Amino acid sequence: MLGPFFRRAAEVGLPVDRVVCVTRFGAAYLVRRLAVAYATLLVIMTLLFVLLRAMPGSFVSAMTTPGMTTAQIARLEAAWGVHDPLWVQYGRFLLNYQTGQFGWSPTMHAPVADVLARRLPRTLVLFGAALLACYVVGPLAGMVLGWYRDARGGTLALAVSLFVYATPVFWVAWLLVWLFDHRLGWLPSAHMVTQFPTFALSPLPVALDFLRHLALPLLSVAAVGWVGATLLVRPAMHDAMRSDYVDLARAKGLRERTILFKHAGRNALVPVTTSAALALAFLVDGAIVTETVFSWPGMGQLIVTAVLDRDYPLAQAAFFLVAVVVVVVRLCLDVAYTYLDPRISFGGRD
Amino acid sequence: MTGRAADCDASTASSRTHRALRRFLTNPLALVGTAVLGVVTCCALAPGVVAPHDPEWVAYVGTSDGRLTLAQSRSLPHPPAFGDPFFAPLGTTASGHGVLTELVYGARTALLVGLAAALLSSLVGVPLGLCSGYYGGWVDGVIQRVVDVLYGVPFLPFVIVLVAIRGASTTTIVLAIAATAWLNNCVVVRGTTLSIVRRTYVDAARAAGLPAHRIVARHVLPDVLPVAAVLLVQDAATAILAHATLAYLGLADVTTASWGVLLQQAQATGHVFDAPWWLLPPGLAIASLVAAFYYVGHAVEDVTDTD
Repeated sequence: MLGPFFRRAAEVGLPVDRVVCVTRFGAAYLVRRLAVAYATLLVIMTLLFVLLRAMPGSFVSAMTTPGMTTAQIARLEAAWGVHDPLWVQYGRFLLNYQTGQFGWSPTMHAPVADVLARRLPRTLVLFGAALLACYVVGPLAGMVLGWYRDARGGTLALAVSLFVYATPVFWVAWLLVWLFDHRLGWLPSAHMVTQFPTFALSPLPVALDFLRHLALPLLSVAAVGWVGATLLVRPAMHDAMRSDYVDLARAKGLRERTILFKHAGRNALVPVTTSAALALAFLVDGAIVTETVFSWPGMGQLIVTAVLDRDYPLAQAAFFLVAVVVVVVRLCLDVAYTYLDPRISFGGRD
Repeated sequence: MTGRAADCDASTASSRTHRALRRFLTNPLALVGTAVLGVVTCCALAPGVVAPHDPEWVAYVGTSDGRLTLAQSRSLPHPPAFGDPFFAPLGTTASGHGVLTELVYGARTALLVGLAAALLSSLVGVPLGLCSGYYGGWVDGVIQRVVDVLYGVPFLPFVIVLVAIRGASTTTIVLAIAATAWLNNCVVVRGTTLSIVRRTYVDAARAAGLPAHRIVARHVLPDVLPVAAVLLVQDAATAILAHATLAYLGLADVTTASWGVLLQQAQATGHVFDAPWWLLPPGLAIASLVAAFYYVGHAVEDVTDTD
């Protein structure tokens, strides 16, 4: 009776209702969602074009030096097409960006695409690790806080976690640098690797050196970031506590800890998974601040220096790449939710 | 409506307000939050009364035009001093201004940025969310697609570019924060409106032939307001943090006193790690004010939670 698809699913042990979701998750939905993502990127490109043309100075201003003659500047301007009509510039910009041509960075003296390709993985490593740390600690703390919400100290614990959430990330980073670098001297507080290494350049010491440099930025983001997930899990946990299945688990005589983490906790995790887009926003903003504090050579630091140095081709492409990452991850999350939970419809909000 | 029914209505309404107020005032988070907000508001309204000195005051010479000796300027930033050689309970900055004075005068900027950005994003987000949820159809479709697209714009990079264009003024920062903060208001208010519109009393109002604007104003809005209030308070908190972050990145107006700028100056002059009296108070002030907004928001949520 079951088709080959269902038999495969049964073999790997998926429950039947999960398999039905897979069939319900149609190509039409995927196409519509892809169209919205593409439209979003087009709008962001337009916004970017308008914003960067409105910035003081032209693309060429970053490339000119005081010694240049007017003729030389005019040649530069002609080469960059600054005097073409705006719609020509706009069309060329859209075409170039969609064919992967991001231009040349005047301050880095390298193709923009190369600079971005070097920078992006560094940011992803740092914030992948930070996000993982936040999403292990945060939900666990939320479960405990929600479970003991009415107990003595419950309000105090909430007050403390909200206060932690209210501290500026760069300030926390400074305090950590002061403690672990200046006071204790345990961890380095700048760059991604030791600048002039005195140790052997074999894989193990290099990896250890990298991890030591990763520790403080990671700790700074995680020290503030875990509260976000906690605040989502805590009320959900409180609702779960009053549900019938928790009563049933109690009646069965299960241990308190088992009920907390395995029965109520798992259900309280739902809001965390559906609001991962919020975490993504936190990631981008956190990247800019944390990378600036720790001279971590990633995307965030790149955006700040590119804007301040008026390296417009680079700033434009970096902004665009960040937007692409945000849009693609949101697309994947939305599709994943519809796959996991058929009650969530298009966009995840209805 | 007869006079008696109106009386009865008024008294239940007032007792409901009374009950809500009592629940709010017995909530410890609400008390702490309100107290902090009260102190900051006092500083913002009358900084001259609270602060120990004028903002022009400089260590050793005070507000006179005297010049510092070499030894005196070498001793700056000076740790906390109580009368000898001068009075500065939280020490001084590298330029000789009292940290406590700067802190008190910075309260106004923090409060202004928080409230202005929050009000602005509510004024945009709440009406759009109401329309989106009440009318549905193509209105909802258009508004939600706009929100979907704007959600893809990364916040801080956007603000950095905007500040680079318009210059680092407080108004620009407020506008930039509001331009992204209204999205969340719109989405949440829309969700609340959707759940209210399905209730029977809205059906009844529709059946009675009330016009849409009246149904929204009299039957939907009162239930949306508590949610909007919580969002308002959270937006204020986010805005103050965002302003501090921008100040750290060197994108805030350095001519007005603010806590973020105070921290940024500590970094710019290289005293982050050797002047704790300068590093700690502004950070604690930002965290306290932001936490106070969070506390009040949580308390409002608790009080209006009808379950």
